[in-house]
Amino acid sequence: MNVPFTHFYGSCLALAFAGYKDGILVDKQEEFQVLALHHPLGFSCRVSILLLMADKRKRATAENDSDEDDNGEQPMEAPRKQAQAALAFRKRLKPDNAILATVRKIADSAKSYKPQTQSLADLNLPNACKEVVDLSCASVMAEIEKTIINIARSILGGNGFGYSVPSRSSANQLYVQELDRIVLKDKASFRPFANMASVRKTTITTRILQLVHQLCKKQIHVTKRDLFYTDVKLFQEQGQSDSVLDDVSCMLGCTRSSLNVVASEKGVVVGRLVFVEDGDRIDCTKMGVGGKAIPPNIDKVKDMESDALFILLVEKDAAFMRLAEDRFYNRFPCVIITAKGQPDVATRLFLKKMKTDLKLPVLGLVDSDPYGLKILSVYMSGSKNMSYDSSNLTTPDIKWLGVRPSDLNKYKIPEQCRLPMTDQDIKTGKDLLEEDFIKKDPNWHKELEVMVKTKEKAEIQALSSFGFQYLSEVYLPMKLQERDWI
Amino acid sequence: MASEKERATPSRKSKASKSKDSILKQKSPAEFFSENKNIAGFDNPGKSLYTTVRELVENALDSAESIAKLPVIEVTIEEISKSKFNSMIGLLDRERLDEELYGDYETEKAREKRLAKEAREQEKQAKAAAAGKKVKDSNAVKLGKGRGEALFYKVTCKDNGRGMPNDDIPNMLGRVLSGTKYGLKQTRGKFGLGAKMALIWSKMSTGLPIDIWSATRGQSFISYCRLDINIHKNVPNVHIHEKRSNEEGWHGAEIQVTIEGNWTTYRSKIINYMRQMAVITPYAQFLFRFVAATPDKNISIRFARRTNVMPPAPAETKYHPSAVDLLLIKRLIAETLKQNLLQFLQHEFTSISKFYAERLIGEMGPEFTPKMPVKSLTAQQLVRIHQLFRQAKFGEPTGECLSPAGEYNLRLGIMKELHPDMVATYQGSVQVFEGHPFLVEAGLSLGGRDVKPGLNIFRFANRIPLLFEQGGDVVTRTATKRINWNSYKINQVQDKIGVFVSIVSTKIPFKGTGKEYIGDDIKEIASAVKSAIQQCCIQLKSKIVRQQQAHDRQQRKRNLSKYIPDVSRAIYGVLMEMADGQKSKKVKYDDDADDLLKKVALHQITESTFIQKLGQHVEQVDAEMALEYATQSGMVDTAREPIYLRTLESDYKFALELHNPVCVMKLFSDF
Repeated sequence: MNVPFTHFYGSCLALAFAGYKDGILVDKQEEFQVLALHHPLGFSCRVSILLLMADKRKRATAENDSDEDDNGEQPMEAPRKQAQAALAFRKRLKPDNAILATVRKIADSAKSYKPQTQSLADLNLPNACKEVVDLSCASVMAEIEKTIINIARSILGGNGFGYSVPSRSSANQLYVQELDRIVLKDKASFRPFANMASVRKTTITTRILQLVHQLCKKQIHVTKRDLFYTDVKLFQEQGQSDSVLDDVSCMLGCTRSSLNVVASEKGVVVGRLVFVEDGDRIDCTKMGVGGKAIPPNIDKVKDMESDALFILLVEKDAAFMRLAEDRFYNRFPCVIITAKGQPDVATRLFLKKMKTDLKLPVLGLVDSDPYGLKILSVYMSGSKNMSYDSSNLTTPDIKWLGVRPSDLNKYKIPEQCRLPMTDQDIKTGKDLLEEDFIKKDPNWHKELEVMVKTKEKAEIQALSSFGFQYLSEVYLPMKLQERDWI
Repeated sequence: MASEKERATPSRKSKASKSKDSILKQKSPAEFFSENKNIAGFDNPGKSLYTTVRELVENALDSAESIAKLPVIEVTIEEISKSKFNSMIGLLDRERLDEELYGDYETEKAREKRLAKEAREQEKQAKAAAAGKKVKDSNAVKLGKGRGEALFYKVTCKDNGRGMPNDDIPNMLGRVLSGTKYGLKQTRGKFGLGAKMALIWSKMSTGLPIDIWSATRGQSFISYCRLDINIHKNVPNVHIHEKRSNEEGWHGAEIQVTIEGNWTTYRSKIINYMRQMAVITPYAQFLFRFVAATPDKNISIRFARRTNVMPPAPAETKYHPSAVDLLLIKRLIAETLKQNLLQFLQHEFTSISKFYAERLIGEMGPEFTPKMPVKSLTAQQLVRIHQLFRQAKFGEPTGECLSPAGEYNLRLGIMKELHPDMVATYQGSVQVFEGHPFLVEAGLSLGGRDVKPGLNIFRFANRIPLLFEQGGDVVTRTATKRINWNSYKINQVQDKIGVFVSIVSTKIPFKGTGKEYIGDDIKEIASAVKSAIQQCCIQLKSKIVRQQQAHDRQQRKRNLSKYIPDVSRAIYGVLMEMADGQKSKKVKYDDDADDLLKKVALHQITESTFIQKLGQHVEQVDAEMALEYATQSGMVDTAREPIYLRTLESDYKFALELHNPVCVMKLFSDF
């Protein structure tokens, strides 16, 4: 524990020093990638800096947590009772080996499980659907050039121009039971240039096409923010260039990664995973407590190897940090991954790749509130915004490990750690009850009903009321032992 | 109200009897109100001035309307300085001998403090002036008025109404709770106190009597009366009562009362009141004058008449069976001229036909018969009738007795006082709550003079403006919380929105002691208000959309052209890259593209080609759209508003006719 800490601080300082010396001032996350590619020190240093940042954040949360605990003025009896309850669960824990045996069984069954290779084409759905594929730079360029030539001809012919853009509105979305994900129907709208309502979008689309064309020609990657800054005056807000970027990838029929535009990295992974990124071998057990940032460019990730028994998907940074620091993955061989909230494309691609390459069961650890479930749903069925690419982004068959609404009573979470749901929460919960992806699994539906009925929510951190390490030392082992997931 | 007061008086009596043992004191209604003057809106001197004005104005309006005469009302508030007041009551001005005796005596320390503060202020101002900032005129250091430094005002209100019969004047003004407005109909007054409360207030604050001039129509003399009220006995105390000559044939009433008040704090309220009154009563002419002690603060506002159409006077109606209580039934029985129960039910209530009355009597029980004398009913039998009234189903009262301002008048009133850009009005249908009919009218204006951005809410109950306690009112709540302004293309924050809602009813469900607002708890009223406002919104929306379209049309070309350079540069940029690629033979394109790219390479097609072509296209589209718009809505850019021209008398001679597509103009020949 101590050795890596000092080591990391050392290297961070070294990098900071090197950075200043080289005149590269590093203060924005999206700059890291460029740094990693071009800086002579390589990206191990980059990881260190990220770690430093993550570490700071972690400390802040830890301090907050302890503050809350100190402030809680409770009668002396209550904590004692809680401690007893916690102890009771601890006593019921079998030795690790026994737990591991049960987990191994499930892992084996997952290995033998053949993923359904159904695609949209096999299903013969009544309405045609729009799906995109990964395209090489050359094909993306060809597509763009084709579009531009058509436009140029139309303009020279005196007819103005416009784009036919697939609609990404929720009316054009379809949940396909057989595939367990959302797909995009084929409705498209025409955006003419000479129309007040669409002139802006059409102009931005043209500009983005030109920029992507350049990127593909030079074969480099930029972040969405970089793209925005190339023409701030026209784009005005990053939201506008981002949404047109999705339109463009939809229009050209390729994934967003094929456009060579990536989101800045957000997800982190740690645990029993070894892979090769752009030629560098990365061992995720030796990533300290901060973990390895998930590369935005999944094409460069190759040769995944692992002796893990399962993948633990964590909603939040704080829980991830706890598990990483306690080296949970050494006690129970696993890979821990988090996207720190709503998952980005890179994390979803990475999870999908892990799942297909390693064939491991995925267990989800999210807050017991409607948003926790929503996050799970995005991993599993895809988001509406990116439904055109759902085949690449979704990881079906994630097990809901916790924290489930029924766990609140089962694990005797004290009242002061439960929060009343706001009206907005309850509304979101009720809406979710109507969603197909919840309905298809009666167990999930039942759990959500419990939540909406009791009108109580709790975060993963609620488990800390029994001690900070309760999550890693009692709750998760207990869950694994009981195979308590749905 | 009368019953409420009767109940209130005994309770006070019992209290008094407890504290003062066996001395039983009787309290007159006048005494009760003098002790609880906040109920009638006389909370403090400022509010008292406001309430006095409104009571007098409302009485004047009622009086003129009752004889179907277009009201002409003059209100004058005259400020009276202390020395003038003293001379009026015959008190000599005394010099202060012992300065330290007075509350506003400035001790040496306080004086030093004040001077130091003033010096600091001056320094600050000098600095600010040096820095080139605008100097606020804060020099008018307000010297705190000491206690007892009361301000007095003489309020005069003159109308052209019915006037009062000579002999009734003392009783009409000098006796509280004796009034002409106690029947069941839509009335302006709130308690029937009106001018009498002002009289009590003048008695309390100045001790001066009131002056009344009055003449009825066709009366050859003017009655002049100077009186005050004996509060303990609730009887008028007449000083002078005489007849004077009426040479001009004037009819109406003029009442002059001298009271303590506060003009500075209530000035805006009083002027607002007059202005809103002018909105809801556009057929009246108001002249409001304030005569200050110093002439530079004088105010004179004339609210001109805008229409001759006057709503009909509200008709008196009968009670609806579901709106009566036990006491009221007893009173009606005592007053009725009908002999038997059947006739009583049939004629003293609305919504009970003869057939229905028979059915009701049959339902009451065997001891009731249609022919039984109504005055002989026992207390138990009355309770039975009351119970049945509560439970039985009755037809709803008609709204014929109501007299709303009318859409026409409301619209004119809004236009005349606010000069808005757009206005819409709507009159709802008669609805019923708890047996009382009511009707909601609404007006909605956008833009205008002296209108603040955001929602400006004007509330009227039985055609009088409500100015206080806006927060809890049903109209305010509906307008701010339940109307989605955005969906009608109205910006709640930036647009100057005027919301006018007038509710008329035989019983306005006021809330609060001062009867200043209508509660939000009666859902019939709340939903009627909401739908009336929404109807106005719908009317305005189409106008707003058309204006928006017209605006867009003007902006379209400019907005579209703005993006031409960006697009052209992007397209040309890609084409250039492609042409470069083609030159170096890296990529092959099909024939059509090949042709295009060669032209690009040879600079036959450049960025400016695209700019030019797109510009032409935009021009063309714009022209097409303009044509389409014109065929749809005519050539006018704004929403059409009808205008009205007055016809001329026929004795003009015309020379030429000038023809143009819109109209024909004729020129007068003999001017």
